[in-house]
Amino acid sequence: MSATKTQMISRRKFLQLSGALAATTAVTNPYRVLYALTRDKGEITPDEIREVFSACDMCFNKCGLIAHVENDVIKKLDPNPNSLKSRGMLCARGNAGVKQLYDPDRLKYPLLRKGARGDGKWQRLSWDQALDHAAEQLDKIGKEYTRCGFLFMAGTDMQSTFVHQFAEAYGSYNVISHESNCLLSRNRAFLDTYGVMPTPDVLNCKYVIMPGSNRFEALVTPDSMDLMTAKGNKSKLVVLDPRFTKTAALADEWYPIKPGTDMAFFLGIAHVIISEELYDETFIKEKTFGFEELKEHVKQYTPQWAAKETEIPAKDITRIARELASAAPSAMVYPGRRSSDYEDSTQIRRSYAIVNALLGNWDQKGGLQVPKKIKPGSMHIEAPFYEDNPDDRVDAGRAQMMFDEEGSFKHTRDAVIEGKPYPIKGWMTYKTNPMQTGANRDKTIEMINTLDFMMTVDIAMSDTAWMADLVLPAPSYLERQDPLSAFLAASTCSGVITRDPVVPAMFESKPVFWIVKELAKRLDLGEFFDFTVDDFRKAQLKKIPQVAKALKEDGVYNITGPSFGIHKGKPFKTRSKKIEFYNTRYKDKGIDPMPVYKQPKTIPENHFRIVVGRNAYVTQSASTNNSLLWELEKENTLWIHPKPAIAMGIKNGETVFVKSLAGKVTIKARVTKETRPDTVYMDTGFGVLSKGLTNIFGKGACIAQVLEDKADKISGNMAMHETFVTVTKT
Amino acid sequence: MTKKLGVAAIIMVFMVVTIGVAMAEGKGNARKGKYLFRKSCRTCHIEDGSAKDLSPVSKTQADWQIIFDNTSKLQCKEEWEKLSEKDILDIHAHLWGHAFDSPSPAKCK
Repeated sequence: MSATKTQMISRRKFLQLSGALAATTAVTNPYRVLYALTRDKGEITPDEIREVFSACDMCFNKCGLIAHVENDVIKKLDPNPNSLKSRGMLCARGNAGVKQLYDPDRLKYPLLRKGARGDGKWQRLSWDQALDHAAEQLDKIGKEYTRCGFLFMAGTDMQSTFVHQFAEAYGSYNVISHESNCLLSRNRAFLDTYGVMPTPDVLNCKYVIMPGSNRFEALVTPDSMDLMTAKGNKSKLVVLDPRFTKTAALADEWYPIKPGTDMAFFLGIAHVIISEELYDETFIKEKTFGFEELKEHVKQYTPQWAAKETEIPAKDITRIARELASAAPSAMVYPGRRSSDYEDSTQIRRSYAIVNALLGNWDQKGGLQVPKKIKPGSMHIEAPFYEDNPDDRVDAGRAQMMFDEEGSFKHTRDAVIEGKPYPIKGWMTYKTNPMQTGANRDKTIEMINTLDFMMTVDIAMSDTAWMADLVLPAPSYLERQDPLSAFLAASTCSGVITRDPVVPAMFESKPVFWIVKELAKRLDLGEFFDFTVDDFRKAQLKKIPQVAKALKEDGVYNITGPSFGIHKGKPFKTRSKKIEFYNTRYKDKGIDPMPVYKQPKTIPENHFRIVVGRNAYVTQSASTNNSLLWELEKENTLWIHPKPAIAMGIKNGETVFVKSLAGKVTIKARVTKETRPDTVYMDTGFGVLSKGLTNIFGKGACIAQVLEDKADKISGNMAMHETFVTVTKT
Repeated sequence: MTKKLGVAAIIMVFMVVTIGVAMAEGKGNARKGKYLFRKSCRTCHIEDGSAKDLSPVSKTQADWQIIFDNTSKLQCKEEWEKLSEKDILDIHAHLWGHAFDSPSPAKCK
């Protein structure tokens, strides 16, 4: 495979040409109102008003929406009442999607870096120039370092599948997702216990223990709405969190658990349930493996012992265990989502999974479910094999049980910096912002500085785009055609959704599908992208015409019918074909086959543990610059308890230094009792380097700059609660 | 003649044992195996194909092992005979390594 030379020009010639054509382009836009919004077409006639179905992309939930369009301008976004998953609702972030579309800060045309990385000096390119340059780099790096010398990273997006397909056709299996900065250790734990990642039926659950998750702020549909509905139906909610979140505020009981001790709490719960024989004996006998080993294992973990670890009274642990068992099987330990916290985060989540199994809530109403799903067809490519490629991923072997198709950002970054086991010199990112979401920002910069070439496809000039050599503008979700996306959700609301352009793509933005297709053409790989998104969708819909009809008429396809009691008699996808209290594969690999509690590291004197979280109006770094949402939070603050703040003479609103082994930032203190005295917190998504994010540039601090990059040993997931910081007056 | 047959039998047994041990040790290249599986098996084992649609997650690791231990009993044994020892190890690494109950089940075929 070689690039089509006739379609490319040499870098030298290209730079000569482009240098002569254009001067450095400013990224920031002095005009704060978009032309699209100022067009005055006079009175609107009914035929100029449209209502168009779409799916939200302000976070990963894909809630159904209806865009109200006048004169080809989206005036507002409404919830799609047909969407069962989103319960006919659209949150504040969803409503603010209009401002992602009509954002003067959007990337408008391809940009080539002109100064040093991160200097913010750019030169405008035509698409042909940009694609020729990118193809030349892909070809050059592939030849010099093998195809695996080019790394791909795509975030959660309905077009990310095309980036994966391009990487496969190009020949690199170094593809990572955002997930190793998020939820992989949770998936690992439940997969290794149940053989699948179940969804929680919060709506019908009578008793929910929520460790760490903040479902009333870090929204997950339908769980956030269902939890509120369930509370109205007298369901009990117990929250364990070092912070007094909105979820804690609305809970029946809140325990500011000592950070890093959740496993001790759940081993204590397991001890009570087993020692008092509060479990369903038939369920345990028929559906689980290793109960006797577990019984022996948890004897040591008494509620009195757990109380010393967690700082939650033993009588409460015992009572909660009894209450849970009494409500079972409509009772659960909520599995949560982001689990990138500790070096044993998989084992912590294993303890959640094990207690759920003791409650016998598998496939039960109000328990953990795997609802019916519909599988769209697919369009596979017959990717070539490149004999000179190395045998495995660059991060292989750095974690005990990494997911092959997800990888680990932390371990890949380390491998790129070290150049071992082989060099990686190119990087393409799409719809992901590891400069803000990957702990230890300095290390990400160090990684980028080892590269020969980096390209980013995004809607706005994120910090990751700011560090790239080539930046390509993508349309927002309201301007593009996407493939179908099937989703699973408990309580009868799994389904399928898609997107068509609500309005034409603005500026020179192009979807990533078009970009990789054009790159493939230039690299003699055009045969692997010899189709359109429409063709792709037709292949997806080939055997499910009912989905096509529903998408057209309702904007969503809902899967109806019960979501529980549908797996009776079916084996689990585990080695033992049962729910595994005891994991023999772990034992074979030298991993504890049942969760063994290890105390979290002691916080050094005059230090705090820093924790990560979310509020309801930001999606990590993707929405903090949105002008509507920015009105709600103009900068982040450091939550610090009054006790240490008073001792250090730190006043509310005062600027402080926050310092760790990874870095140092300045940020305003928020002196509040809503966090433990030993724990501090700040929101993600501020302290940006990019001057292309004009609302938030110069505001707040970047948490990735102070978080140290530890990893979960089993999954390779980032461990973001292992960092200790000092807080001092400026 | 008997002696020759005996030697052949010993060689066969040795090969089976060698491949078996190599499989158990996971010595194949799963990346190459994915390519070979598509090229050699997915020509028939595909949706609407002449044989049952197959992907790594179609079977458990134990079930795949039974297949690989008994390729001579398969309807498509002649196709298997065309593969080299290394090819079989690579395909095994892909299918067994990404099976239904494996630590890293395949997402796509």
